[in-house]
Amino acid sequence: MIRLTRTQVKIAERILATIPLALGVAIVAFVFMRAMPGDPVDIMMGEGAWTSEEEMAALRDEMGLDEPIHAQLWAYLKRVLAGDLGYSMIRSRPVAEIIREALPATIELAVFSLLFALAVGIPVGVASALKPNSFVDRAGASLSLLGVSLPAFWLGIVGVLIFSMTLGWLPTSGRIAYDAQPAHITGMVILDAIITGNLPALGNALKHICLPAVTLGLGVAAVVARVTRSSMLDVISADYIQFARAKGVPEGEVTRRHALRNAMIPTVTLVGLQFGSLLGGNMIVETIFGWPGLGRVVVDSIFARDYPVVQASVMVYALTFVLINLATDIIYTVLDPKISL
Amino acid sequence: MKIRTTLIIIVIAILAVPGFVPAALGTSKGQLSVIIDTESIRADEAQAIAHNLRAIGVSADVRIWEWSALKERIQAGERQIYLTDWGSAYFDPFDIVVPKFLTGDRGNYTGYSNSRFDAALNQALLAVDADVRKDAYFDAQQILFDDAPAIFGYSLTEVEAARSDVLNWQPSMDSRVNLHDVGLARGDTIVVGLYADKVVTLDPAAYRDRPTETVIRNMFDALVTRTWDGRVVPEIAEGWRAVSDTEYLFKIRKGIKFHNGDSLDVDDVVYTFDRVLREAGMGGRTSPRQGLLGPVEKVEKVDAYTVRFVLSAPFPVLPQALVHFQIVPRKHLERVGDEAFAREPVGCGPFRYVEGRLDDRIVMERFDGYYGGSPMLPPVATAQVKRAIFRMMPDPTVRVAALKTGEVHVIQSVPAHLVSALRRDRNIQVKSVEGTRVYFAEMNCTRPPFDDPKVRRAMNYAVDWDTILRTIYAGNATRLSTAFLPSGFGFNPDLAPYKYDPARARALLTEAGYLTR
Repeated sequence: MIRLTRTQVKIAERILATIPLALGVAIVAFVFMRAMPGDPVDIMMGEGAWTSEEEMAALRDEMGLDEPIHAQLWAYLKRVLAGDLGYSMIRSRPVAEIIREALPATIELAVFSLLFALAVGIPVGVASALKPNSFVDRAGASLSLLGVSLPAFWLGIVGVLIFSMTLGWLPTSGRIAYDAQPAHITGMVILDAIITGNLPALGNALKHICLPAVTLGLGVAAVVARVTRSSMLDVISADYIQFARAKGVPEGEVTRRHALRNAMIPTVTLVGLQFGSLLGGNMIVETIFGWPGLGRVVVDSIFARDYPVVQASVMVYALTFVLINLATDIIYTVLDPKISL
Repeated sequence: MKIRTTLIIIVIAILAVPGFVPAALGTSKGQLSVIIDTESIRADEAQAIAHNLRAIGVSADVRIWEWSALKERIQAGERQIYLTDWGSAYFDPFDIVVPKFLTGDRGNYTGYSNSRFDAALNQALLAVDADVRKDAYFDAQQILFDDAPAIFGYSLTEVEAARSDVLNWQPSMDSRVNLHDVGLARGDTIVVGLYADKVVTLDPAAYRDRPTETVIRNMFDALVTRTWDGRVVPEIAEGWRAVSDTEYLFKIRKGIKFHNGDSLDVDDVVYTFDRVLREAGMGGRTSPRQGLLGPVEKVEKVDAYTVRFVLSAPFPVLPQALVHFQIVPRKHLERVGDEAFAREPVGCGPFRYVEGRLDDRIVMERFDGYYGGSPMLPPVATAQVKRAIFRMMPDPTVRVAALKTGEVHVIQSVPAHLVSALRRDRNIQVKSVEGTRVYFAEMNCTRPPFDDPKVRRAMNYAVDWDTILRTIYAGNATRLSTAFLPSGFGFNPDLAPYKYDPARARALLTEAGYLTR
């Protein structure tokens, strides 16, 4: 028999707990979507003469929309438990296929936004904390304020105007040029380019992801900088830091090994939460940059009342949130052995 | 666009004080008080109309809605004035005036009903003789104008733009992007920045929206097509004739090949229509396009190159309708199935499908076996560019930026406020065509105060459309006298729109018994 450590059992428990959660989320999404006025047939058929009530009724019948709500919900849950996410009412394709196609683009964008946010936010936060009230600190604080305040739809467009139209450095939108595409492996273009060693594709994809990743990541960078600064300030005045210094540990080492590592815990919490919202809150950025990700699919499907797509996407979002939280908790234990799951 | 719309709706919903103002004040009619409903996209316009109404002593407020929610309340007859619009695809009042204003029809949100008007429309619908139809439409227009169930508005001019190295480019009134006829001064790949978030499918039987049609019509041809200004001309068909009011014969051109090498014949045509007309005809699903064929009952083979359309009632706009039914290859489709066909479509159009993602881009390449297309739309040859790419670019500003940087060659739906900037750019050509969508403010004719035509006419005199169109839409709009479009059949150009005349509006309101301060 395999013996699991206490931590492994905890992790397994948390993963199993996502199943009822996903079903709960599916039910909520189902009920909310049905509570909205309008239905997919009505919206798809829109205008047009000669669309008879009978024709619309026939389509509703085909989509199962004329059944009572509880029967629809029951049928839906049965299908989901069997692993079938259903068929899009508008896009004439299986929902699983739509999500599988869109999700890699969204993950790619979220990861790069997060990398950008960390690469900018942590150094700025640390530098500010090391010299409080200095010029660096004030500049950092002002930039953070700007970063959290600027809305993405404005920032994105201004970015396009400056970097694409005026300077001509970056493409306005899209994910990669048609003639530069790497072979399809994971669906994440940059990863695929790295795996296949396709340098031109990598360069092209990186150029395309710059503006959207910065637009999406700037707000997060600002929050990361602020949180890192304040937790760093707390830690740096702690006794054990003074002690380390008194021991004669070089200042760089004090900052890196003793202060930063302990100061990172609030940042990790924050990053966990923010990564979830980067995955789920990128509709505007995806729309501006024509980024073919899940956010656009969801918004569009909500407007079109494409119930199966919305329900499945909401489940995907919920699951990612839970899994990211789990990952965050695991990282805590690594950063601070005193913490256990 | 939609996201921003949602945000605006939320913000306004929070800010606005929701209040229901009773429609009328019983017999002792006091001051007229109305709420104007709109989607957020036309909020400015609604505010301007409210301002105009306040100027004649009407207490007017604006409320912003999501469309489906508003529509439900409108159909329940609970609202008063609502800004709506309706598009026409057939260049005939058949698919705009009929659904909007015929008694009890699907799009009739005003509850308007006038038997004389209905009779005139029905006459136009059933007659095949063009003069009879025209006269009937003229009658209907006059009645509609006098009854004024809506504050009649405008149609927006459709502005499109292309790089100046795109040759022979001409926007179409049916918003088709015809890439067969265009050439490029430099390069061999033409890129179109499509205004949509996605195309829903590549199967010509499975959609109802225009962006999807725009893409599909470059890979598929139909029996007939249109010139850019809306005239129906033969495409796959050599010609057609009406045998009677309810029977049409179409002759099919010989020697047309599909992208997979199969020859196109009458069986493909019959199959295409059968797939749309039959319940569950699309691999178990019913085509959402069924209704667009109106009273077409069946489509049958006469001989190898002749096909017969049998109708259950006269349908004079049949040729206009057939522009929108692209012919699919029977043998291929039966072999691969509907789902695989939608994934990798095979048509007989100027471009063949290469690869793509519906919410990203669709790539197609010139089909070298193309028969040349409609002889009425030169050049009659294979496409001039080697490759065509449609990119989904939902954000209008980014679309314009991409055109300016040369990333895309053609864009549609240029926002009104960016038109002048594009016109100044030497590398860009801007062209516009008349729109085929009517915008108006409908009134609830079933309840006071708008059950009184005097009040409705007063509203029409009260609104200063010229100022609204100039300031909000930068003049890219055509003022309309009714819901009949100038591009449509049977339009009466002599019927002038309501003039902006606040004094007359006030007088009419007073006559109807309202205080106008």
